[in-house]
Amino acid sequence: MTAIRVLLVDDELSFSQTLAKVLARRGFAVAIATSGEEALARLAARPWDVVLLDVKMPDRDGLSVLADIRALPDPPEVIMLTGHLSRQEEEAGLSAGAFAYLLKPHPIPDLEQLIRQAAQRLQLRRCHTPVSSPTKGGES
Amino acid sequence: MTDHTHPTNYRAMLVALVRRVLLVSVLPLIVIATANFFLFFSLNRSIVLDQQANLLRYHRESIEAFLANLTAEVTALAHQYPREELVNGHLERLFQVLQQSAKVITDIGVIDSAGQHLKYVGPYDLAGRNYRATEWFAEVVERGYYISDVFMGFRGVPHFIIAVKRHEGNDFWVLRVTVNTDYFSRLVDAAHVGRTGETFIINREGRFQTKTRFGDRLLEPSGFPDLSFHEGIKVRSLKMGGVGYLCTTTWLSNPRWLLIFRQEIRDVYAPLRNAVVVGILMSAAGVLGAGVLAVLFAHRQVQALKRADAENEALLRRLVATGKTAAVGEMSAGLAHEINNPLATIDTLQTWIRDLAGTPGMSEADRLEVLDAASKIGDQVARCKTITQGLLKFARRVDASPQPVLLSPMLEEMATVMRARARIEGVVLETDLADVPAVLGAPAHLQQIFMNLINNALDATSGRGDGRVVIRTRAADEAVRVEIQDNGPGIPPEHLSSIFLPFFTTKPVGKGTGLGLAICYGLVQELNGSIEVNSRPGQGTTFTVRLPRAAQEGR
Repeated sequence: MTAIRVLLVDDELSFSQTLAKVLARRGFAVAIATSGEEALARLAARPWDVVLLDVKMPDRDGLSVLADIRALPDPPEVIMLTGHLSRQEEEAGLSAGAFAYLLKPHPIPDLEQLIRQAAQRLQLRRCHTPVSSPTKGGES
Repeated sequence: MTDHTHPTNYRAMLVALVRRVLLVSVLPLIVIATANFFLFFSLNRSIVLDQQANLLRYHRESIEAFLANLTAEVTALAHQYPREELVNGHLERLFQVLQQSAKVITDIGVIDSAGQHLKYVGPYDLAGRNYRATEWFAEVVERGYYISDVFMGFRGVPHFIIAVKRHEGNDFWVLRVTVNTDYFSRLVDAAHVGRTGETFIINREGRFQTKTRFGDRLLEPSGFPDLSFHEGIKVRSLKMGGVGYLCTTTWLSNPRWLLIFRQEIRDVYAPLRNAVVVGILMSAAGVLGAGVLAVLFAHRQVQALKRADAENEALLRRLVATGKTAAVGEMSAGLAHEINNPLATIDTLQTWIRDLAGTPGMSEADRLEVLDAASKIGDQVARCKTITQGLLKFARRVDASPQPVLLSPMLEEMATVMRARARIEGVVLETDLADVPAVLGAPAHLQQIFMNLINNALDATSGRGDGRVVIRTRAADEAVRVEIQDNGPGIPPEHLSSIFLPFFTTKPVGKGTGLGLAICYGLVQELNGSIEVNSRPGQGTTFTVRLPRAAQEGR
């Protein structure tokens, strides 16, 4: 089984770099994007399984990035991370298709668990929606 | 708190109030007292002057009568007896007759036409003297009778005489008496007025013709400054020897003497001054009383004001506190966000350290140390997170951002809570809640609106025994209608137009702020809703709140 491809989107590098190392050690294939635009560019370049998306970033609101991601053909699962959890935001994020909406700091073991679950769901979705074909993620 | 600025404010207010009340009460008092004083003074003065004039008029009449009577008596005696009879022994008897009632005269004598003193009865050694060259003798010869001024004469003692000329045959002789100056002085100064009042007579040269009770001697210059003749009675103030006197004067007709009554002005107005002192004391007592009342009154006013201010301030503080809560809520959210981000980094680093500790090449002891340190970091992060989560929870509770709210469950919940109070006050709190769509609003604001209305309804019905409050919800077109109905006394029609105005209250002081309905009105307006009241005295009151339903979202 190939590694789950995780894209970390956060403007705070110290956080995303550390998290990338931690996740990589746990067997994930991790990359970093520091802004919403960069994340969308990376997502367009090649397929990803799970995106960890910060809600508050200087260039774009995480929720709007989420909407763009969900609009992609064969979109990855998205786990939202925020320092300021409000009920409306959470509801808006979940109804926009986020896999989870987490308040920072979220315990790493739990986060790891959630990433795996998200990847699993993605897997299931790809199997049940043959339209978008087993292009790249299907062969896992 | 701004309490430290208040004492000075209240003190200034107190002072201003006292000043105003004093002005209003004392000024008229002073004006009246002053007017009274002047009125009283001028009236009193004219009475005093009249009295003195009258006194002197009667006095002059009695003095003139005395001199006229004495002259008439001497004249009668002179005509009753021939000269020889008098010279040969009758004069002693006449002297006794004239002295019968009082020692009116000092001596008596008979003088012939050549001025020779033929016979003398009296204490001085004057027999045989010749008066031809004297002034009085010339006068009596010319006029027939004469009353002299006081003069020294042969005896060397001041005295005055009354002389009468008697024709006998071709010759004439003169009967002369010397008036007892002590008796006359006493007669003139009979009436003692006040402490310094005295009556005396001076002649045209200003010399004393009577002794005064303050020791002025006969013939001494009196120093009286105005010797010009005047008719009738004249009253004037004159300064003599540095002392102010009120002088009442009148000229006697014969002899031309000036009868003077004088009294020190201080003495004249002594009773008046006493009256004035009493008046001033009474006025002062009045002013003092007014002052005490003013201070009491002002104090009470300021106390009332202070109380009102304290109430207002408490209210203001409550309002500020609500505003503050919202601000603190907002700040808490921001704070939590700012702290959560670094916390996330720390927590991840802690995991990374644990990961690294797992790699071989480190001694077992060191690895345990590192893991222990990492786990302690993890504990501290968890602790911080509890705090930031608490902050966020608080922020969420005071969250005033609008969201879809289902009113019926919310009102049911509120009713459950408020039934406790209703039961205590003997009011039945009922709910009649329909399954109504959600409205858009901040839960805290919606709760406040209905809390105020329900509380008002409970206030209106409490303690009546049959109190009943119904909370009703109904769907109405694009809105949700909430009715709070009570069977209280109702609102008087004249109050209906003002109940939503701020600070309007009919509750006892300290019980209602007058803001409840105003706040309701403001909040309902903000939610694009409406609030109306339906009330008839004796039939209870119904408040109806209409709120637009939230945009359809399927829930």
